[in-house]
Amino acid sequence: MSEEITQSNFSKYGLYTVNENLELTLPDTLIKFERIGENAFSYFRQDSEGKIIEKMIPSKSDELKIELAPIRPLNYPARRTGYVFLKFDKEIYLGQNSAASIFVHCPIEIGIFLIHDSKPESLDWVTCNPINSRFGLYGSPDTGTLCKYAEVSLATDFSDSVPYVEGVMKIVIENNLESGQTVSKVIFPITDNSLYYEDSKSILDGIKVTLKKRAVVSIADVQTDVLSTDWMKSPTWEASTSNTPMEMGLE
Amino acid sequence: MTPIDFLQGLSEMEIVGGLTVLSLVLGGVIMTVGIIAAKIVKIIFFKYYAPTLPQDTAKNFGKIIYFGIIAIAFFIFTSVQGLDFSGLLVAGGIFAVVIGFATQSVVSNLISGVFLMMEKPAKHGDTIQIPDMGISGTLLDIATFSSRIRKFDGTVIRIPNEKFFTSNIRSLTDSTVRRAEAMVGIAYKDDIENAISVIKNEIQLTMPFVLRIPEPEFRVEELGDSSVNIQVLVWHPRDDWSQAQPHLLTTIKRALDKSGIEIPFPQRVVWDAKD
Repeated sequence: MSEEITQSNFSKYGLYTVNENLELTLPDTLIKFERIGENAFSYFRQDSEGKIIEKMIPSKSDELKIELAPIRPLNYPARRTGYVFLKFDKEIYLGQNSAASIFVHCPIEIGIFLIHDSKPESLDWVTCNPINSRFGLYGSPDTGTLCKYAEVSLATDFSDSVPYVEGVMKIVIENNLESGQTVSKVIFPITDNSLYYEDSKSILDGIKVTLKKRAVVSIADVQTDVLSTDWMKSPTWEASTSNTPMEMGLE
Repeated sequence: MTPIDFLQGLSEMEIVGGLTVLSLVLGGVIMTVGIIAAKIVKIIFFKYYAPTLPQDTAKNFGKIIYFGIIAIAFFIFTSVQGLDFSGLLVAGGIFAVVIGFATQSVVSNLISGVFLMMEKPAKHGDTIQIPDMGISGTLLDIATFSSRIRKFDGTVIRIPNEKFFTSNIRSLTDSTVRRAEAMVGIAYKDDIENAISVIKNEIQLTMPFVLRIPEPEFRVEELGDSSVNIQVLVWHPRDDWSQAQPHLLTTIKRALDKSGIEIPFPQRVVWDAKD
C-alpha cells in the first residue's frame, strides 16, 4: 500500500474549518462533513473495508473546526490493550556494554477530532492499513500481555515516515550486560508515547531499552523517551490510561 | 389516668412466664430501633464501602451487617427483660434435631456458599462453564444459598451452592487469550502444505481478531476414510470468541474453495470379486 500513496493525493493532517461542506480523502477512506441546518452538520466516513459511519453534529457556532491527526494504533479491530509488540524485520546485535540508536516504522491510525473551545474532542478514527493491524501475545496464554502486533522495518530517519500508515520512532538500545545480545522485538505501553505530525508524515515519542541484570535475571527495561520537536503534537484519542512500564525477559 | 399509671398497668398485665405487655412493647421498640439502625448502617455501607469490594463480597457483607445488628437488638431485648430461655433448651434440642434433618440441604448450601466466597473459583462478571451441568454463561452472583448464572441465551439459571461448589468450574475469562479450533478434511489428491498455506493466508487476511503471535497452528490429525483431516487452532483475545470461533470454518471453506482444494464427501471403493 505504501508505494501507492503519494502525499499530494490525499488530505494532509492538520486543522480544517467546515463552513458548508468538507471532503477529506485518505487512502481507501473518504470523510465528508456537510451542513444540514443552521447549527448542525453531518459526518460521513467510509473506510477501506466499505464500512460506513454517519453522525450528526449539532454546533453552537455556524462553523465547525476539526483536526485530522495521527493517533496510536490501538483501536482496530477493537481496543483491547495499551501495549504494542514491534517485531523487527532484521535482528539487532549489540556487543557487551554498547548502545545503539535506530529508527523504526511504527503503525499508526488516524483520528478525527472536533475542536470545541480550543479543546479537541474525539469524533472518529480510521486505519488505512487494516490488514496489518493485528494482535499478538507476549508471554504465556494465562499470564501474558496482549499487544497490538506489527512486523516493522528499520527507517532511515524521522522523515522516512509512510504517510497515513506508519510513523517513525527512535529506539535507543543500551546493553549493560557482560555479553552480546540480539534484539528482535520490543514490547512497550504505547499509551505514554505522543505522536507529532507535519503534512502527512508522523513521528512518535521514542523509547529507551536497557538490557541489564536484576539479581541473577537478565531483563530489558523499556522507558518512554519524550521527543523534542517543532512538529504539531497530535491530540490524545483515548481516555487517559496508565500502564506500568514494560520489563521483558531475555531469551 | 396519667401515662405513668398507664405504663404501670401494662407492666402488671402478665402474658406468660413473667413476660408483661410493657416488656413486649419495650421489646418492640428495641427491635424497631434495631431494624432502623440496621437499614441505615446497610445503606451507609453500600454507599461508601461496597463500591471498593467485589460485588458478591459486598452483598454478603451487607447481609451479615444487617442481620447482625438485628440479632444484637434481639439479645439486648432479651437481656433487658431478663428472659430465661432455659425452658426452651430441652424442647429446642429435640426441635433442632428435627430441623437439622429437614434443613440438611439448606445448611449444606449455606456452608458451600461460605466456602465459595472464601475460595472464589469465579467472581461476578466472569464467563464460566460448568461442564457437568452443560451450563455456560456469565456469573451474576454467589449468594448465601445459591448462585445465579446468565446463560448466553439471556435466561438466568439459579444453581444451589452445594452443586456449584462440588462441580467442575471452567473459567473462560481467567486467561488473556483463548483458542478456537476447527477440523477440516481435504482430498487425498490435494497437497497438504498448500492447503495449510491458503488457509493460513485467508485467516490472516480476513480474521482481524486472530493473533499473529502465537501463529495459527495446523495439525494433520488423521488420515481418515475419505479425507486427510487437518485441525486448525487459532488464538484470539479472550473476550472475542464470537469474532473467531463462529467464523473459523467459514474462512477455512472460503480459502479451500478459492484454491480449488476439495473437501471430499465420505466415499467407499467397491471391488467386484470377478476383478
